[in-house]
Amino acid sequence: MVKIKKKKRPDPEIPTSSMSDISFLLLLFFLVSTVIDVDTGIGLTLPEYIPLEQAEVVPLSKDRLAALLINENGDVLLNGEIISIPQIQKNLIERISSKIGQPKNKKLVVSVKVDRKTNYNLYIMALDQVKGAYFEVRETYSRTKYGKKVGELDEKETTELRDEIPIIISIAEPEQIKK
Amino acid sequence: MKFEKRRANSNAAIPTASLSDIIFILLLFFMVTTTLREVDVLVQYKLPEAKAIEKIENKRLVTYLWIGRDERIQLNDAIVKLEEIQDIMYNKRVQLPQVIVSLRIDKNSSMGIVTDVQQKLRRADARRINYSTLLAP
Repeated sequence: MVKIKKKKRPDPEIPTSSMSDISFLLLLFFLVSTVIDVDTGIGLTLPEYIPLEQAEVVPLSKDRLAALLINENGDVLLNGEIISIPQIQKNLIERISSKIGQPKNKKLVVSVKVDRKTNYNLYIMALDQVKGAYFEVRETYSRTKYGKKVGELDEKETTELRDEIPIIISIAEPEQIKK
Repeated sequence: MKFEKRRANSNAAIPTASLSDIIFILLLFFMVTTTLREVDVLVQYKLPEAKAIEKIENKRLVTYLWIGRDERIQLNDAIVKLEEIQDIMYNKRVQLPQVIVSLRIDKNSSMGIVTDVQQKLRRADARRINYSTLLAP
């Protein structure tokens, strides 16, 4: 019997040298794309602290002021009239829009006043409405004037927009402050 | 006279098959050992929801302040008293003039405590705040 010599085959091998590159790319991709816990919220700048003795009372004309009052029962008053929270936005949009084109010292001031026992959630809901109104007006203004969304404006246009529709929210001090 | 050069017959190749394993182990090691600087929140709170919200762009500037449902106040990583906020925040503000205070307040709190904290922040001149809220669906 003749022995048939088996043909020697090369060992099958998977090319593994590029595996490390792949895993590096994977690692890099995750590093770049991961966003860890973005903070979102309603931004605000508190008024400067001025001791009571030095405080000056600046009279504010009635048509500049939108006074928002939330009492401990959750009733909301806008300029003395009872209003429900979801209506605030619509109401303010008109008032903010009517101030476009007027000089800086004529812009609307939204004053938010609360009671010590007012629920924080209500306060945020009201503030959300106010902010929402401003954002809405800014968006409309930016579309009609520049034909762009607010987010797409360049730096100069953004400053212009901010000057034209400044967000002035005044947090009024509640009646009694714990010293 | 001819000298035969002595040379190994094998072709020199570095075994690269295990390289990926090494890198994976490296990756795993770092994943396990890294702790993102996170604070233990010692108060219980539930954030309110809102629609017209914005992102805090620069995380470096942020100082966190929690007010839990039991009205305890935590500033960054420790429970503080109301009276201490002013000094701590003033020092912070000196170091970092643009500091933003992110207020994470339980939604069932009353505005009394919120106002008190805000007064302290005003006195400390740390006036940029952000009421932390979730995006309402």
